Amino acid sequence: MQAPPSPCINVCRMDPHSGLCVGCQRTLDEIAAWGSASAERKTLILQEVDRRRRQAAHQEGQA
Amino acid sequence: MKLLPGMQVFERGWLSANNILFVDEEASTLIDTGYVTHAPQTQALLQHALGARGLDRIINTHLHSDHCGGNAQLQAQYAAHTSIPEAEAVAVRDWNDDALSYRATGQQCPRFRFDATLKGGDRLRLGGADWQVLVAPGHDPHALMFWCEREGLLISADALWEDGFGVVFPELEGQAAFADVRATLELIASLDARLAIPGHGAPFADVGAALQRAFSRLDYLAADPGRNARNGIKVLVKFRLLERRKASLAELEHWMREVPLLATSNRLHLQMEDAALAQWVALQLVKAGAARLEDGWLVDC
Repeated sequence: MQAPPSPCINVCRMDPHSGLCVGCQRTLDEIAAWGSASAERKTLILQEVDRRRRQAAHQEGQA
Repeated sequence: MKLLPGMQVFERGWLSANNILFVDEEASTLIDTGYVTHAPQTQALLQHALGARGLDRIINTHLHSDHCGGNAQLQAQYAAHTSIPEAEAVAVRDWNDDALSYRATGQQCPRFRFDATLKGGDRLRLGGADWQVLVAPGHDPHALMFWCEREGLLISADALWEDGFGVVFPELEGQAAFADVRATLELIASLDARLAIPGHGAPFADVGAALQRAFSRLDYLAADPGRNARNGIKVLVKFRLLERRKASLAELEHWMREVPLLATSNRLHLQMEDAALAQWVALQLVKAGAARLEDGWLVDC
């Protein structure tokens, strides 16, 4: 399985409320783990990021 | 991917270079510290990994702003013992803006101190293994790499990435360096590296394939220094965009004129008129998908 590229977009700032990076929507754990993560693990992290983005968009839509 | 016990790679982006953390019983060591504006993030990653422990040591592969921009904050926070390339000692001791790269590239890096220097042939103990310090001139005349022969691990910084290597900066201002890049790639080729940890991008195991691509790229750049100049100018402007997120075209043109390395590189290799150069760079970045134009603003993307 080809490893997906890092989702870092060079914002690199943690949101204290969500515990997620404002730019890539990963937790500190996920950012730190990425460097030695398998392709499978990276894919799972990106799926989780995608879920968070969709959830945030949904919540915004409801506000 | 097999790293040493207690070793972690924080893969960052382009504004900050990757950080490599070693946590042993004796000491915790961070190799390279990212860009200044990301220092809080670098510290957060560090704290998350260290828990209640402090950071004992900082080591810099070279002193570009994306590799040592976190030094000042981490030194203030942890009083970390800091080692830098020996050839940079005087410049850092005196904080010589003309010898360091920050003013020349239009980048920021807060002043930091150092406690020791490293040179080719020196030995380090990290992650319970011996590492050799190798010199890696080319991208930067004073750059170092760290090589763990026992494990076949190479910390290659910007001398070799999975697809390419860092801009050959000395050539931008007319200092011969393509031969240095070649020698450094040949040095890497002579090692039996099973995993390379680059300054940007993911660690990679197929070092041979990366070297093939790198040698090709070098041949391409060396055949016409204008190519390296055009690439270097685009990279410097993109870096500015990463830092600022957007710039008006007027701002950009003004900034480009004031950045010594951009002005010199243009004068030596391209001889484009200032406005034309700014427009050309903006267009190139847009074409590459690295930026978009919105109402006279160049926006990072």
